[in-house]
Amino acid sequence: MTRSTFASASSAPGSGRALTLLAGWHVALSVALVGGALATLNSAAASEALRIAAAIGLALAASGSAAATLFIARRNHLGRTLSLVVNYIVFLACLIGLAHTLGVFMGLDDLADYMARGFPFGMGALFVVGYFISTTALHERPVSLARRNLGRVLMALGAIGFLLTAGVVPALASLPGKYISGNLLPLALTAGVMTTGYLLWSMWRGESARAMGAKNIHTERLNGWLFLSPNLLGFILFFAGPLLFSLYVSFTNWDSFNKRDWVGLDNYRRVFNLTVQALKTANQPAGDVIDVRVYDELLRANLFGQSYLIGAEDKRFWISLRNTLVFGLLAVPLAVIPALALAALLNSRLPGMRFYRTLYFIPSVAAVVGVALIWQWMYNSQVGWINYFITNAISLINSVLGSNIKDPQIRWLADSDYALLSVVIMSAWQWLGFNTVLFLAGLQTIPRELYEAATVDGANPGQQFFNVTLPMLAPTTLYVLTTTTIQALQVFDQVFIVSNGTGGPGTSTLTMTLNLYQNGFQSFRQGYASALAWVLFVVIFAFTLFQFRRQRRASGAYDM
Amino acid sequence: MSYRAIRAMRGLAIYAILSVFAVVMLFPFLVMVFTSLKTASDTFSYPPRLLPGEHVTIEMPGFERPLPLYNITAESGETKQMALVEENIRVGVFAPLDPAGRPNFNRTVIRRFGEVKLAGGAEGKQIVIDGQTAPVYEVESDGQIAEMIVLTRTTVGQFINPANPSETVLANVRLSQPVMRVAAHPENYAEVVNLLGFDRALTNTAMITLLTVIGQIFTSVLGGYAFARLKFPGRDQIFLLYLGTIMVPFVVLIIPLYQLMVAIGWVNAMPALILPWLYTAYGTFLMRQFFITIPKEIEEAALIDGASRWSILTRIFIPASVPALATLATFTFLYAWNSFFWPLVVVNTGNTRAQVLTLALNVLRGRASDSPNLILAGAAIAVIPPTLVFILAQRYYVESVTSSGVKG
Repeated sequence: MTRSTFASASSAPGSGRALTLLAGWHVALSVALVGGALATLNSAAASEALRIAAAIGLALAASGSAAATLFIARRNHLGRTLSLVVNYIVFLACLIGLAHTLGVFMGLDDLADYMARGFPFGMGALFVVGYFISTTALHERPVSLARRNLGRVLMALGAIGFLLTAGVVPALASLPGKYISGNLLPLALTAGVMTTGYLLWSMWRGESARAMGAKNIHTERLNGWLFLSPNLLGFILFFAGPLLFSLYVSFTNWDSFNKRDWVGLDNYRRVFNLTVQALKTANQPAGDVIDVRVYDELLRANLFGQSYLIGAEDKRFWISLRNTLVFGLLAVPLAVIPALALAALLNSRLPGMRFYRTLYFIPSVAAVVGVALIWQWMYNSQVGWINYFITNAISLINSVLGSNIKDPQIRWLADSDYALLSVVIMSAWQWLGFNTVLFLAGLQTIPRELYEAATVDGANPGQQFFNVTLPMLAPTTLYVLTTTTIQALQVFDQVFIVSNGTGGPGTSTLTMTLNLYQNGFQSFRQGYASALAWVLFVVIFAFTLFQFRRQRRASGAYDM
Repeated sequence: MSYRAIRAMRGLAIYAILSVFAVVMLFPFLVMVFTSLKTASDTFSYPPRLLPGEHVTIEMPGFERPLPLYNITAESGETKQMALVEENIRVGVFAPLDPAGRPNFNRTVIRRFGEVKLAGGAEGKQIVIDGQTAPVYEVESDGQIAEMIVLTRTTVGQFINPANPSETVLANVRLSQPVMRVAAHPENYAEVVNLLGFDRALTNTAMITLLTVIGQIFTSVLGGYAFARLKFPGRDQIFLLYLGTIMVPFVVLIIPLYQLMVAIGWVNAMPALILPWLYTAYGTFLMRQFFITIPKEIEEAALIDGASRWSILTRIFIPASVPALATLATFTFLYAWNSFFWPLVVVNTGNTRAQVLTLALNVLRGRASDSPNLILAGAAIAVIPPTLVFILAQRYYVESVTSSGVKG
């Protein structure tokens, strides 16, 4: 405390010079940013919308910088905040740009080349071992300095070994070449990083803060934004920005390459476009009643003796919607109801329940791709385990009951009637353990007194389950139902693996996400695929809302 | 029944049901591990066997090649292990005639046609059964000559008893039980690694997972601390926005993210598999919820002592939140290791430099469709590491799934 008071008294002239320098920098920066905004508007590098957005961003930064000059001149603490924010943004932009032009990000691929030789992993392990030795040495009484030093030597060896074996040395050696290659961009960006870095430091110092009249609360605000900034950067670059862009793309006919025209709601119209026509006879050709250049026959229905034909402009969307809903209707109860029963059993407080809980959880941590391959083999119709079990079970039943049930010899994934059911079973198997653990946690929060009171009132176990357990478990049930439904509606990995990405046999395992993938990345109709993505989003959102509302009504009924 | 007996019965029933489900949950993994150790031909044997096996053979003097052993039931009803000497011998199945002149189906014997002769001398004796005439043979059985007729003709193999080479038996090879011995083939793993560059895929996946875990912990810890402990304008609005984004499905982002990668030039490259995943609303939320429970007094004391926010975070908050960090690390590990959709979109099939395990498995599925042993060895390489991580970290992970109720 005393040290800093002393410092502030003596360094006032120095901070004054630094602040003058900062004010001058912000004037120059504003001019440069305005120039940059104008240049962006007039360039032909990107689409018009993108240019306008970039220009607006640059103009905002320019005005922030200009305002910073004014406030710094008046020694208002806002000037410090503005200066730090603007300089920080410029600093980050220069740093990321520099890393990109020097190939730091693409260097990850080269790093993987070196890592593939295995040595760097060993060196990393050596580093970690050294770290543990040195830290555990400090926790011992008396502190073992020899062990700490041994740990530090191992850490140093590991670090040096890693740098050598992971190809960092050749990567660093290649850097000077990029500076003198005639391209001025790396040099300019390095200068930008160093300048803004220095200015940030000089404004952040205690001396400047006091000279600008900044209080602790202002510093806390800046700290808040600073600590949030890596997170916020990721949010804007990889979430919010893409989300808005996706909405925009869904109104275009983008083919991922050149063509990107605004088509308004046409994608959405095409998704939902249906036509219903009355038929003279039940098997009249579809071409008689619908325009087959636009519509495909989706299904025929008989209503009050009159046959109708429903045609759809995008038949595959409706099929994928049906498959997804059927999948959800079957997989969600299969993954939720047995989970509740298992959780009730696990809640019996017998020894060994943790072991079972861990065991049930294992399928949910395994890669879906791997699990799908295992099940695909078990579903093999000739030598697979599932048909073997069915054959044995049927012959056992026949010999015990003397009945004559025929072995169905189901072809599972190769049969379009059973393929979706096969995927349902394997998905429910994989999700079951996770839901069991969630239910178990919910059950453990129910107070025992409720059951004791119910027993005193003469309720049997069944009545206790329906009148105590289920209502008390409602929030957990809602959560489990919602997350499982969301997962089921997005099912992709499983169907991609078992159908080789086709959604086959036929269209029996074509889910909404797979249909989206095929449209976006096999036919490259990215505008249309974006519209499909938003439709899927709305379907998921609707289901979640529906479950929340039903829950609210149900919980209202149990209010006491 | 006493109360104690009822309780014991109930406990037994619970263990029985839980154990049945435990078998159901584990069985596919057992299939994976054991099939991955089989030979390709062994995987296609029916009925399916769990353990990898191979046919036991025996070296016998006088035979060039080792002879396969089978369990053979002799005519006396005794089962012995016998070696197959000769295959495709044409034989007849003979049935003795009972006094009424009808064949006795219960005492059939197998004989080569060279060993028997027709009864009744040169003209041959014939018998009429159910309107059909059949030649009668004289067949030696149990040291006696009996009159028999041929029921069917078939091909069999000749088996000898290795302990007593003069004892031979004819039996159908296909219907005989081979003597199997458990024999694992771990070289399948080496083969799968060489076949598709699984080593590179494993390295890439490990690197991507490691960097994603480190990066996510970095952004989540900083962001979580800011949300939990620093007051700044817009904090609560941004936090609500973050919470809302947990609902947005990933598929909505996949096309714009892909286009972003195209624009930066990261398609088919490792950074595309790491950098978009460094921010997560879920991780930030998890860390924030944990930091909020740390008492404020400790932090205030440190602030008065002149500690910076950074040193408060690294000296006080991070050491106190090891369980939350372990949970976040495990969640991120599983997510990064198992992800398939995004790598499928952003890495082309056949590209080896940015190959990850799930993609390599997808390629392997197409290329080795006739060797399930190799496919499942690949699946095991992809499935076993996350399972081990989960078992090591499950104390934190399962607890936090149950307390925070968030799904990965």
